[in-house]
Amino acid sequence: MPDGLVKAIPFEDLIAAARARSQDGWRADLNDQAKARYHVAGWPHARTESWKYTNLNALAGSDFTLAEGGAATGAAVPEDAILAIDAPRIVLVNGVLDPALSNLDALPGGVVLTRLAEAGESDRAVMASLLSEESSTDGLPLAALNAATLSDALILDIATGAVPETAVHVISVGAGENKAFAPRLLIRAGEDSFADVIESHVGGGAEVYFSNSVTQVTVAKGARLGHYRLQNEALGAFHVALTTAEVAEGAVYDNFVLSLGARLARNEIRGEITGARVEYRINGAYMASGTRHLDNTTFIDHAAAGSRSREVYKGVLADASRGVFQGKILVRQDAQQTDGYQMNRAMLMSDRAEIDSKPELEIYADDVRCSHGATVGELEEDHLFYLQARGIDRDTARRLLVSAYIDEAIDEIHSEPVREAMKQRAGDWLAQNLSGDGA
Amino acid sequence: MSLLKIENLHATIDDKEILKGINLEMGPGEIHAIMGPNGSGKSTLSYVLAGRDGYEVTEGSVTFKGKDLLELEADERANEGIFLAFQYPVEIPGVAGMTFLRESYNAKLRHHGEPEADAMQFLKMVRAKAKTLNMNDDMLKRPVNVGFSGGEKKRNEILQMAVLEPSLAILDETDSGLDIDALKLVSEGVNALRNEGRSMLIITHYQRLLNHIQPDFVHVLAHGKIQRSGGKELALELEANGYADFAEEAA
Ligand SMILES: Nc1ncnc2c1ncn2[C@@H]1O[C@H](COP(=O)(O)OP(=O)(O)O)[C@@H](O)[C@H]1O
Ligand SMILES: [Mg+2]
Repeated sequence: MPDGLVKAIPFEDLIAAARARSQDGWRADLNDQAKARYHVAGWPHARTESWKYTNLNALAGSDFTLAEGGAATGAAVPEDAILAIDAPRIVLVNGVLDPALSNLDALPGGVVLTRLAEAGESDRAVMASLLSEESSTDGLPLAALNAATLSDALILDIATGAVPETAVHVISVGAGENKAFAPRLLIRAGEDSFADVIESHVGGGAEVYFSNSVTQVTVAKGARLGHYRLQNEALGAFHVALTTAEVAEGAVYDNFVLSLGARLARNEIRGEITGARVEYRINGAYMASGTRHLDNTTFIDHAAAGSRSREVYKGVLADASRGVFQGKILVRQDAQQTDGYQMNRAMLMSDRAEIDSKPELEIYADDVRCSHGATVGELEEDHLFYLQARGIDRDTARRLLVSAYIDEAIDEIHSEPVREAMKQRAGDWLAQNLSGDGA
Repeated sequence: MSLLKIENLHATIDDKEILKGINLEMGPGEIHAIMGPNGSGKSTLSYVLAGRDGYEVTEGSVTFKGKDLLELEADERANEGIFLAFQYPVEIPGVAGMTFLRESYNAKLRHHGEPEADAMQFLKMVRAKAKTLNMNDDMLKRPVNVGFSGGEKKRNEILQMAVLEPSLAILDETDSGLDIDALKLVSEGVNALRNEGRSMLIITHYQRLLNHIQPDFVHVLAHGKIQRSGGKELALELEANGYADFAEEAA
């Protein structure tokens, strides 16, 4: 390619700022390796297949400064934005653990938290290899950017056989105007453990910021992990999130993501099923108004025989908002008796709203059951009239019907309190966004 | 004073005139039956009265309790006391029957400036009414009409009517698709709701429903107009002769 056509890759300044802060040689090495991966991957452009419906120009064209690591920001947790769950908290402000806002002492037995910022010699090798695990080839430059700019990383270890008494709530608060930060969370569910980890990603006063998060999950043999995420960022924020999940034999991974906030958000989940009898569940709901853009991109790799995956996503798109759903299921040759189900449904509340839906099945085994579907619909006039003819005003009728529609996805969540907490936030969204005729 | 007064009502769907000058007056407590061949505009009349979008009134007026009914939104009409039992009640996935009933009951209370109902007492009241219609708790918990048989849907309409206690009930072919037992059950439900303050407009194609619910007046609707009005003996005459007579009258 002639030199003149090589576009500068964005956010070099953030990487340089992070590098300058790395006092330790090993942290500097991590930065450098991540930077190299970021360069190899390259910034997604219009022809990058996995990003073809989500244009990152507005993000690349914005100026951010790297959020300070560790400095007290005076931020508070916005209680009415996070999932209302009775569970000990691990609060990250601009990607950095804030012990004062957290209840680290209250973490349930069987759950151990380790911080990158305080990693001893023995943890370093583990950290280093985990941080570099995201591949540089699969259109994941933002994950490499995360590694190149992160100020901290957290490992949550759930001990073998542990059944913690409560869930653990990780809360990421974006509190700096025009700041960029890179939350990194590793969840390792030990064999036969049974736990719930919840993430709330919210704004804490700042309007415009860039949260570039990565969560890496491993679910060991026979473990059950509920992993639930609420994306309720400030409405001017950019939110790019990658979740990777590696799920071993006999394990259950129950994931749900509710996306409500941000001006542009990507929720990408890449899962690998490495053993038999796995129950791999990734479900979600997305609700957008204004000109918001919500992208859900998932990849399920059935790398072993005899497992099941289930994916139900439902979206509500009002005004001129845009939704993207890309769902790929790969069934490798050895993954016989795979049972895969995928469904994306979107409801358009206005004729200016748009959904791009791209399901993709790639199947190399011959004895499998895989189905997928996508529907796009509108509120049915018949339903609205039926409710109105019983005295329910049109706005309330719309909210009732949309809420029923979204609840169907939320009901996939195994944990009852999380289900209720998600419905509460979805209800808030409806109350704020579905008054007036919307069209 | 009449409860409902329809004068020279003309209405179109997609610029096609369906109602071509309906005149009808109903007093409190009266039961009127409207009979007529398929496609004569019976459901259209019921929708125009209930306030469905897409039906344009091009001429005439409808006065309900002294108010201009056509000025009101569908939900306001319902809260003012108009109840339409649908010919084809829709299934509403995800909205529990009880939630739906409570929403509509409370909407009516709010409309009249009254406090919302106590949830437990409301549940009790609904259960008692459901029982007389042979509807169990499971049917109340399920999403509105989802998976209901045709007869169950019609019974559900009558239950809603019993709960909402309208002053004007419009029953659009509530008898269609019912077997004899279901027809009896539904008719008993309707008769139980008869009182001097509640009027009913019973739309039907056949006169068999009128054996169970005795009307005070019978009107024949054909070609968008009421062609004849009379007492209940008119229904028997129609049963014997069919609607053939009215093809000519309109021509
Ligand atoms: N949505 C519609 N669009 C166009 N024509 C309609 C619509 N609904 C009903 N019609 C027509 O209006 C006429 C009356 O229909 P309807 O009121 O349903 O009759 P009935 O209930 O007496 O059988 C019929 O000719 C029917 O085809
Ligand atoms: Mg009809």
